[in-house]
Amino acid sequence: MTAKVKVTNLVKTFGNNEVLKGINLEVQNNEVVVVIGPSGSGKSTLLRTLNKLEAPTSGDIIIDGMNIADPKTDINKVRENIGMVFQHFNLFNNLSVSENIMLAPVELKKEDKQAAAEHAKRLLKTVGLESKFDATVQSLSGGQQQRVAIARALAMDPDVMLFDEPTSALDPEMVGDVLAVMKNLAKQGMTMIVVTHEMGFAKEVADRVVFVDDGNIQEQGTPDEMFNHPKNPRLQDFLDKVLNV
Amino acid sequence: MKRKFASLFAGFVMLAAMVFALSAGITPAKAETTYQIGTDVTFPPFEFANKHDKYVGIDIELLKAIAKDQGFKVNIKPTSFNGAVQAVQSGQLDGMIAGMSITKEREATFDFSKPYFTSGVVMAVTPNSKTTSLKDLRGKKVAVKTGTSGADYAKSIQKKYGFHIVTFDESNDMYQDVITGNSAACFEDSPVMRYAVRQGTKLKIVTKPVENGPYGFAVKKGHNQKLLRMFNKGLADMKANGEYARITRKYLGAKGSSDTSSDRTFWGLIKQNRSALLGGFEETVWLTIVAIFFATVFGVIVGLLGVVPNKFFNGLSTTLIYIFRGLPLLVLALFIYTGIPSLTNQKIPAFVAGTITLMFNEGAYIAAFVKGGINAVNIGQMEAARSLGLPFGKAMRRVILPQGIRIMIPSFINQFIITLKDTSILSIIGILELTQTGKIIIARNLEGFKVWTIIAVIYLVVITLLTWLSNWVQRRVRL
Ligand SMILES: Nc1ncnc2c1ncn2[C@@H]1O[C@H](COP(=O)(O)OP(=O)(O)OP(=O)(O)O)[C@@H](O)[C@H]1O
Ligand SMILES: [Mg+2]
Repeated sequence: MTAKVKVTNLVKTFGNNEVLKGINLEVQNNEVVVVIGPSGSGKSTLLRTLNKLEAPTSGDIIIDGMNIADPKTDINKVRENIGMVFQHFNLFNNLSVSENIMLAPVELKKEDKQAAAEHAKRLLKTVGLESKFDATVQSLSGGQQQRVAIARALAMDPDVMLFDEPTSALDPEMVGDVLAVMKNLAKQGMTMIVVTHEMGFAKEVADRVVFVDDGNIQEQGTPDEMFNHPKNPRLQDFLDKVLNV
Repeated sequence: MKRKFASLFAGFVMLAAMVFALSAGITPAKAETTYQIGTDVTFPPFEFANKHDKYVGIDIELLKAIAKDQGFKVNIKPTSFNGAVQAVQSGQLDGMIAGMSITKEREATFDFSKPYFTSGVVMAVTPNSKTTSLKDLRGKKVAVKTGTSGADYAKSIQKKYGFHIVTFDESNDMYQDVITGNSAACFEDSPVMRYAVRQGTKLKIVTKPVENGPYGFAVKKGHNQKLLRMFNKGLADMKANGEYARITRKYLGAKGSSDTSSDRTFWGLIKQNRSALLGGFEETVWLTIVAIFFATVFGVIVGLLGVVPNKFFNGLSTTLIYIFRGLPLLVLALFIYTGIPSLTNQKIPAFVAGTITLMFNEGAYIAAFVKGGINAVNIGQMEAARSLGLPFGKAMRRVILPQGIRIMIPSFINQFIITLKDTSILSIIGILELTQTGKIIIARNLEGFKVWTIIAVIYLVVITLLTWLSNWVQRRVRL
């Protein structure tokens, strides 16, 4: 079986700052990979190169058999199959909840308006917000906004979902709802790459945990291997800090 | 995506082409017998608009009589003395008659007709001034008007009598400077000064006329020689048949044409100048609307070029904004009106030149805040849209622009008001808008304070209306 996502020797520099120093990573179909690591280690940058929000400096990124590092690849087509959820939600402020969800399917002629509206309703139901169909973005709480953002990302029926710290901008009481939606997605077999500091989520949901530090993958394994038998001293150090607060 | 930029760029090129086509289209075909003649707007009794808004004065009547005698037509363009000089030199105008003294310096770039009038410079002071002769001027200020023989004369004796020179563009401003006491005296051609005094200007003439270079009709050196010959022949005819004497007597005689009888209250001034003010008002509004339209199109295109992901277009946008925001409006207007024709040998009507000037200048400001408005939209909005697979253009149109425009609207309203005010600067190239109309009226009746008050009130009224309209549109649009 070929990997859903295959990253080879990925290097990303900002000016003189080499943020990713040759990452190799494979993600299989239906796999849930959780990326952890200290602040500034390059987790977001790694995630953002996967849908080319950041262009890779060198290396290859193959998703569904298409190399997005190749300038000839139509990146818009590839992005239609990769959903992304941001730390700060980034819902479109000029559109209502339903319009946020329907925008891409209608603009990209995947669905007509009617079908898109039906689809949006179903998606809102799965994230527990069917009553917010016509609401404005500004009227929602952070947790609600993030759940709408997940629904929006799902509207194009992607086969990979990227999450960049989806709960770190939320009040603690909102975190549970969002994580529940994500767990549900994982259960349905969605391929997911999740950057998070929620170690509980990692232990419970991840098939594999990847520890990034200093622009490299320092160690990876099952949650049990990573949390109960960490080998790399940096990982031990990191876990000490995040688990004993 | 490349194609999007290409079409954006094509749109820009088309706009430029359109403006030039427009300018070429409006340019009147140069008929064999019609000459474009420049003149000053404010030099009575040689040229000024009478209370029926018709250009009259010694120069005007003489030129018309000569044209009739010699069988050619003239189209008289009152710009300003300096404006006419530049327009003749750039080929925008065929000749000028504006109480212009024949001097060695001017003969380097102009060919003059035979002298048609001999004048002399006099000094004028306030009625109870202690300054009564040139000797009293030491250490004091003297007001002159640019380009006049009074100014030349003042310069020639400045060292000897030890005074400072203050220069004005309009006669009325020069007189006012003396009346208010800023300057001790002014120098002006005797007929002009006498006319001003007859109009009620509170000055008195205290010296005998000192002869200066006589007045001549001028064309660009080496050009329009046929016109010059016809002028000379016609002038000789006019002197022979008594027409010349009749015209000069009409304006210089003891009872000479003057305008003192009329009502000088605010209401009286408005009534007398109703059609002139209305015409100026219309021109100002029309110019504002056309300029706002083109400036908005230009500004939005250049602003968008500044945010597309393409280094070349970003650079182009920055450069255009830098140049057109950096140039003073006055310089840009004169450059376009007099500079372009000397490069292309194509005349530009003042209105078109004015519109282009405003399009570039106001457009540059619009481009800057369009760019700023778009950049002010959180980068996350664009990233979210792109991550869904929306191409740049669609993301821009559906997500970024609607939010950016809301940020820009107050700036747009502000810029429209500035555009309206900036049209007044275009009086420099002779567009008969509100400010130029004011100058012309004042040149005749010398009621500077009252007329400028009327003009100021009209501007405020228009600006208020424009602000209301903008606010109404803003509420309507509700993006
Ligand atoms: N657009 C950019 N331009 C320049 N430097 C950047 C840019 N984006 C990220 N960096 C730098 O790259 C490094 C890694 O940043 P990144 O956001 O990937 O870290 P992270 O692991 O996601 O951290 P955090 O946990 O704080 O989100 C940082 O040093 C950051 O300053
Ligand atoms: Mg991050």
